[in-house]
Amino acid sequence: MTLSTPPTARRVAILGGNRIPFARSNGVYAKVSNHDMLTATLQGLVDRFNLHGQRLGEVVGGAVMKHSRDFNLVRESVLSTSLAPETPAFDIQQACGTGLEAAMLVANKIALGHIECGIAGGVDTTSDAPMGLNEKLRKILLQVSRAKTAGQRLAALSQVRPQMLLQPALPRNGEPRTGLSMGEHCELMAKEWAIPREAQDELAWHSHQNLARAYQDGFFNDLMTPFQGVSQDTNLRGDLSLDKLRSLKPCFDKKVRPEQGTLTPGNSTPLTDGASAVLLASEEWAAARGLPVLAYLSFSEVAAVDFFNQKEGLLMAPAYAVPRMLARAQLRLQDFDFYEIHEAFAAQVLCTLKAWEDPVFCQTRLGLDQPLGAIDRSKLNVHGSSLAAGHPFAATGGRIVATLAKMLAQKGAGRGLISICAAGGQGVVAILER
Amino acid sequence: MDSPIPTIEIAQAPGTWASLARLAAVLKANRKRPGRIEALPPVCYLRPAVRLDATDIAAYAKVCGFQPEQGVPLLYPQMLTFPLAMAYFASSYCPWPALGTVHLANHVQQHAPLQAGDVLRVEMRPGLLQAHEKGQVFTLEFQIWKDQALVWEATQTLLRLGVQNPSGPPYASALHNAQPLSVQTSFMADAGIGRRYGRVSGDLNPIHLSALSAKLFGFRRAIAHGMWTQARALAAMLPRQPLAQADIWVEFKTPLLLPARATLWSTRQVQGPLPDNALFEVRNAQGDKPHLRASLSYSLA
Repeated sequence: MTLSTPPTARRVAILGGNRIPFARSNGVYAKVSNHDMLTATLQGLVDRFNLHGQRLGEVVGGAVMKHSRDFNLVRESVLSTSLAPETPAFDIQQACGTGLEAAMLVANKIALGHIECGIAGGVDTTSDAPMGLNEKLRKILLQVSRAKTAGQRLAALSQVRPQMLLQPALPRNGEPRTGLSMGEHCELMAKEWAIPREAQDELAWHSHQNLARAYQDGFFNDLMTPFQGVSQDTNLRGDLSLDKLRSLKPCFDKKVRPEQGTLTPGNSTPLTDGASAVLLASEEWAAARGLPVLAYLSFSEVAAVDFFNQKEGLLMAPAYAVPRMLARAQLRLQDFDFYEIHEAFAAQVLCTLKAWEDPVFCQTRLGLDQPLGAIDRSKLNVHGSSLAAGHPFAATGGRIVATLAKMLAQKGAGRGLISICAAGGQGVVAILER
Repeated sequence: MDSPIPTIEIAQAPGTWASLARLAAVLKANRKRPGRIEALPPVCYLRPAVRLDATDIAAYAKVCGFQPEQGVPLLYPQMLTFPLAMAYFASSYCPWPALGTVHLANHVQQHAPLQAGDVLRVEMRPGLLQAHEKGQVFTLEFQIWKDQALVWEATQTLLRLGVQNPSGPPYASALHNAQPLSVQTSFMADAGIGRRYGRVSGDLNPIHLSALSAKLFGFRRAIAHGMWTQARALAAMLPRQPLAQADIWVEFKTPLLLPARATLWSTRQVQGPLPDNALFEVRNAQGDKPHLRASLSYSLA
């Protein structure tokens, strides 16, 4: 028997995207679930591209904050839309990299001809957060369910104490291995890389300015579906001043850099609720439906750093992922028209840029003869990023892919770099081209 | 030939009882009412051998918020000069009493690292006169020597309120913070901080000790020692390691009434004589009223 020949890789087209406006935690979306938000986002995409009743190759997405009932979140959301119920779906989770990783997974299947089209997405809520039973109470209740006699059941139940009902297990925005929150880790990075407060506030200010301008220009009109009466990200402050940012007190300094912190609620992303989705397809599928291609997803890379033993900064993995991807793509860091660096914290972006300019870091950590060098800052996050829009963890990747694809389509030709840092010391990066 | 400048040696170590005795002398000196003074008579007050005491430093550091790894706090040596200043105010060399004298500005330069155990020679001389719209400005110059090397010096700029027709060139503020500052932290100046700082500094001026004693002198509540407020801010501004050299110029703007939460505003993108520089202000909780303004530069040991 001769083995069949695998297909050669095809170009993967990004046809469009959709998201609901992102909303600050415990705000307008406080009472809606991940399922509600993802369904509204998918339905908006289906409506825009007239995919009603169609069977897509696959829908891939995920959420970082999940209830146990949401084990099949994406499939359940698909079933709630007007897509053909025969559309398969699965959930993934790679922290803040979830959305971009989902796009990469769908793209790879399209590239290999396994599917013709698919949707990648992500959703997160920190308002409708999963709250666990008190851990002691949970163990007692499990013991009760294992009990075989009434006596055993009573004995187990007798261990229940009233305070167990009032002390639920809450989700934590922290790294399990260090006990530090992501902001505390980033404060340590800002210290190591000597990132000044003022530079962080300036980056945050630009993010708000850029996003506000994009809304004024109607840039998001075909990238967004209003939801719950909201048509614009609620974190956006178009009238935000640098003076206001300067007046905010550092909020992650206490444990790691007492009284000397630089990260504030203004130059860090707030907890956010929201969802996003991107439509990807083969060129043939798009052409058959007369759908224009915005851009192509051409390269991707994921890196992870040892932030625990080697003490590399928790959010420095994109600094490793990008040069590896550039080497494969045979590109220089300067060969891009747009840079979309997810602003988890202004300091994360500035640490990454500084690391790429640093000869010692590039030589000793990246093994490069020359530093990657500086980028043209006027090409960075041109239509704003997470500091202004907010950051519903798994939804950020979809927001960035759709935004960058449209920017490249508007420009006509060009190349854009996406860089997203994620919990666990991971970095997810990609290149879009047109 | 000029006669030599009189030198007065102060032997006693500062302690609470000694401070109280000094306070009595200072209060007695409160009756001084000179006419116009053209120049301060030259004099040198001296403590020939003072040991930097680790226990005293630790007590000061605790009250001011310094960490042990920061070594001898930059302003701590000024504690060693306090008995000299008080003796000067109580003497006939000083035309004015201590009470009713306002601390306008303070400039400290550290030229070499200091360590607990160092034996130092502490000197004080009166300086120049300047004319202020509210009275007479005069300076006290402090020098601290270790093994014949000048390791630390300070200039206290003081204002004697209500002096008519003051002498000297006009006084001008030296600090104009054009740069925008951002909030670095906030800290609590609690009701007892004046008493606690008074104990470690020897400065038992009643305006710092309690609301009642402050009321006698026309303040609504007790006010924080300016040097404490400055030190508390420096504890947050300086890195967690000892300094080799430093230069701090501070101007006191408005009293910090106790108790209060104060905010520390700073920026580091500035120029200065030493490699690491910063401007900072201590403001009220709302951030709209400055208590003090300072320019800092330093190099690490």
